[in-house]
Amino acid sequence: MTSIVKPSRLKRRKQQLKEMPAATGRGLDERLQLASPPARSFLNKVFPDHWSFLLGEIALWSFVVLLLTGTFLTLFFEPSMDEVTYQGSYTALQDVEMSAAYASTLNLSFDVRGGLFIRQMHHWAALLFIAAIVVHMLRIFFTGAFRKPRELNWIIGVALFWLAFLLGFTGYSLPDDALSGTGLRIGHAIMLAVPVIGTWLAYALFDGPFPGELIISRIYIVHVFILPLTVLGLITLHLIIMFKQKHTQWPGPGRTNRNVVGERFFPRYAAKQGAFFFIVFGAIALMGGLFQINPVWLFGPYKAAVVSVASQPDWYVLFLEGATRLFPAWETRFTLFGEHYTLPNAFWPAVLFPGIVAITMFAYPFIEARLRKDKGIHNLLERPRDVPKRTAFGAAALTFYVILTVSGANDVVAKVFDISLNAMTWIGRVGVILLPAVVYLATYRLCLGLQQHDREVLAHGIETGIIRRRPDGGFYEVHQPLGPTDERGRGGLEYTGWTVPKKMNRIGALAPAVRGFFVPLEKAAPPSPAPTRAALEEPGPNGERPSVEEASSDQKE
Amino acid sequence: MLAGVLYTVFAPGLAAQDEPLSNDAQQGRAIYEQSCISCHGNNGQGVPGRGPSLIGVGEAAVEFQVSTGRMPLARQGAQAEPKPPVWRGEELERNVRYLSAYIDALGGGPRMPAGTDLGANGDPAVGGELYRINCSSCHGYSGGGGALSAGAFAPGLLDATDRQIWAAMLSGPQNMPVFGDNQLTPQEKADIIAFINTLSEDGDPGGVFNLGRFGPSTEGLAIFLVGIVGIVIATLWIAGKS
Amino acid sequence: MSAPTQRAETDLTRAGETGVDLSDPRLTRFDLVREGARRNGIEIVLYEPRFPVPGSRVERRLERVVALLFLIAGAAGLGFVIAYIWWPWEYEFGPDSLSKFYTPVLGVTLGVSLFAVALALVAWVKKLLPHEIAIEERHDGASSDDDRQLMEATLANAGQESGVSRRPLLKGALALGLAPVGLAVAAPLIGGLIRDPHRPMYDEVGVSRQFHTGFHPGLNGGRPVRLVREDGTPIRPEDVSVSGQITVFPGIPGGTTNEFADSPTLLIHLRQADADELRENLYELNQGSMLGNFVAYSKVCTHAGCPPSLYEQQTNRLLCPCHQSQFLITDNARPVFGPATRSLAMLPLDVDEEGYFVAASDYKVPVGPSFWER
Repeated sequence: MTSIVKPSRLKRRKQQLKEMPAATGRGLDERLQLASPPARSFLNKVFPDHWSFLLGEIALWSFVVLLLTGTFLTLFFEPSMDEVTYQGSYTALQDVEMSAAYASTLNLSFDVRGGLFIRQMHHWAALLFIAAIVVHMLRIFFTGAFRKPRELNWIIGVALFWLAFLLGFTGYSLPDDALSGTGLRIGHAIMLAVPVIGTWLAYALFDGPFPGELIISRIYIVHVFILPLTVLGLITLHLIIMFKQKHTQWPGPGRTNRNVVGERFFPRYAAKQGAFFFIVFGAIALMGGLFQINPVWLFGPYKAAVVSVASQPDWYVLFLEGATRLFPAWETRFTLFGEHYTLPNAFWPAVLFPGIVAITMFAYPFIEARLRKDKGIHNLLERPRDVPKRTAFGAAALTFYVILTVSGANDVVAKVFDISLNAMTWIGRVGVILLPAVVYLATYRLCLGLQQHDREVLAHGIETGIIRRRPDGGFYEVHQPLGPTDERGRGGLEYTGWTVPKKMNRIGALAPAVRGFFVPLEKAAPPSPAPTRAALEEPGPNGERPSVEEASSDQKE
Repeated sequence: MLAGVLYTVFAPGLAAQDEPLSNDAQQGRAIYEQSCISCHGNNGQGVPGRGPSLIGVGEAAVEFQVSTGRMPLARQGAQAEPKPPVWRGEELERNVRYLSAYIDALGGGPRMPAGTDLGANGDPAVGGELYRINCSSCHGYSGGGGALSAGAFAPGLLDATDRQIWAAMLSGPQNMPVFGDNQLTPQEKADIIAFINTLSEDGDPGGVFNLGRFGPSTEGLAIFLVGIVGIVIATLWIAGKS
Repeated sequence: MSAPTQRAETDLTRAGETGVDLSDPRLTRFDLVREGARRNGIEIVLYEPRFPVPGSRVERRLERVVALLFLIAGAAGLGFVIAYIWWPWEYEFGPDSLSKFYTPVLGVTLGVSLFAVALALVAWVKKLLPHEIAIEERHDGASSDDDRQLMEATLANAGQESGVSRRPLLKGALALGLAPVGLAVAAPLIGGLIRDPHRPMYDEVGVSRQFHTGFHPGLNGGRPVRLVREDGTPIRPEDVSVSGQITVFPGIPGGTTNEFADSPTLLIHLRQADADELRENLYELNQGSMLGNFVAYSKVCTHAGCPPSLYEQQTNRLLCPCHQSQFLITDNARPVFGPATRSLAMLPLDVDEEGYFVAASDYKVPVGPSFWER
């Protein structure tokens, strides 16, 4: 009897199982109306497709890795400055007195399975997080993506940069090793350099004189709770605003200020994003496994009398370190009502300077809008060459930043390249003033030159390399016009701020250029019957073929 | 004349020479007068502006300077640079012994212990603490060396022999301060050498590339050259280029 | 123009502006997708399969590649788990013991596994999924006039209901009542953190730690504090060789620990000539602080607090490794290069009846980095 019932019951089960996703969906929809247009519009949301739009994603996914690995680390780290005697397996520190924080960092590195790997991944992810934020910010800056209506998201982004900076600083201070302790000591000196309230500020944070007994546990709660929560909230807001305002896009065929051209979010874009998470995660895993980072066991526990040559902070703090190293020995001392006061040297490069940098960063979209008298809404990006002043300013600021960063490690540079340390300081001092000006002028001219060449190609066509002889004996080069021409052979195409093809193979008139590093020569072009029809008959706004996408599909066939 | 007589009486170098030189010391003097005398002067008195007096520096100084190739000096600069020594192998050992005997005869000075494995009975953990308080400020936490003021530098320690490190502590070559046996006892010196040997002999548990153990400066370089560059190449492949 | 694009355009004309009738049995599933997107303001203008003829050799090869990548991911992931559990992981001393490769093996297996997943996904999407271009209209700028009017009315009505503008008493009470509540929230947060840097830390001594170090005799029952090594042992003058230096700490309980982070001091035994030069240069303040050819300078930089302990015995400089300030030992440790502006403080030296170094008094100026009320 039972043997007859069983198969049918099994069949029913199988059928039920098959219908389960649909049934679950129906059930959820009955409760949450998941099939309503807003939910569908989420799936259908169109995203433009360009590699430079993924830079911010590197930061996003590194943050996810930071949360994952960081949670693991909290299971073993002990944020305490109690003195303990090390008894772990690392021999060169056996029986050494150290803080519990440092001892637990050693333990999680040497006495926890995979602990060192996770710690190194966490640190690499942190460096990558801030590097990606900076690179992403440079992309936003140089393409004008911060303009109205996106000023708010720019401000959130700048806030995220500084919060990430603090997250990084608090993070690498936690192990309480000799290197990070030196960093904390400098941080303490910078607090003391704040006018009027300096000592009060430092005493409040350190609960008395440096280093006190609480600073590690205070930094810990800031690093694992307050800052990550704030950053998480701001990232969410950043993405919601991006979603609401829709992504910017490059100008191009069919792309206007009023639309977004690209792929729908689901499934293509979402799958690519998912894949990108795995790439970022994988890169961090590889670096965490192959490149040793922050070997705290070599540095020893923090002792106030201990220091090492080549003491550097993590790379994102180097620009402040560099500014502090290069700043001349100026200090203001004055007497007021019989009391002596000092405006410390460190105030200028380490308090005022970062303050000015932060304010300029926050205010930049409004400064530029005012200078350009621009109140319009912009959804199309600008190529750097089309805004020479901004590009030149950005390049100069970047030069300034890079020189300060290198100067922050100028003793390492001096050692590695066998240059006098004092000379490095002077090179930095002169360079940080001179080079940005030179770079500004050079970039400005470069932008104008590139623009000029684009316009020239639009007007006269592409150089074909074919030389003809005129009846009068003169020679001229044949130019391939990109669009219809007037009787004098001048093209009438408008400059639209997008790539102008400059080689015949870019308009399909020659075989595509050979890509890759290992193919030394381009193959000779196959004998082609005159310039292709596509190029001559259907020029886009820029003289390109009607749509780039179609062209690429042609190539694939 | 009187001054000259007084000088001969009181100058320790010359006084020491009153005793007949040992065989080794005589050989040493021959080498000295060929290779060293132009800067350090007659009988190790020193020549102002060229080379310091060698009276009382002891055999440790000879061993360090000659075996690391710093002496004879190639050219006057911010600091004597290590280079391959002028002699090799046994000849080097022999000549160092001769010169040491001669310098010792000129005015005594700290003596080197015998043997080559001077860190053998040292405790690396104790040595590490001493190293960090006395040595790391110039030579770095991981012994890689570092830049000092105006072109001078502290050399890396990982390739140095035990004897060279010991001799350097004892004699304070170039800008290095002297750590006499009354300040760092022979046992403490052995501890420090044991720690430095730990640094050079222990592999890196954190990966196959240690980035020079420089700390954050090379790590920052790596995150851009490897991390950012690699991932940006990936974005070029994943997403469109127009 | 290729065929799929054509099709997209005819669909567009067929659909018109009114939308399609979803019950029309002729509609394909993709027609529904397109209609759904259209109702979201999105037009799918190009939708073309990568492989118009399914099952071609190229397509099958791509399928195999994607499948292989997933299998590689699985194998590497498995490798990771196996290495994680069975690879010798505990720290061993040695240049290339197997445990030194634990972290690299974990990194490579996990990295390869994750990369393979990523490659498989991207290859799948880019090579197998149909190619699509969609265009979405933007709706920038302010809300519609109607919406703004309605919103304004809603907000204004709420304001009027409360009547804050009509009832000044409430307005005032609101401000006076809520401000202290806010302060009450902030007070413990800020107030709890405040420590007076000028308050004497040790009642029996009556000095603030911001202005005094562990060498203050008050911390030693009024007797001069001994100079000790990091292990707490006192130091005799003959313990430091000529051209030698030693880091010393106050010989009081906890004096060598970070509790007295401002106190580490560099005791230097100068050569005769250098000591003479220093004696000639001594500041008024530093008169009598040297002892024979010994001098002791604070090991806390006057710039940012690092230990400027890179003692160059020939150039007679102390170099700070953090910001490269250089101090001239033979001239009161006066800064001669870099950002530091003040000389390192000099500790007055003496020896006690047992012949050990002591600090004759505390530093005569506050040590360490500058601050406002210094």
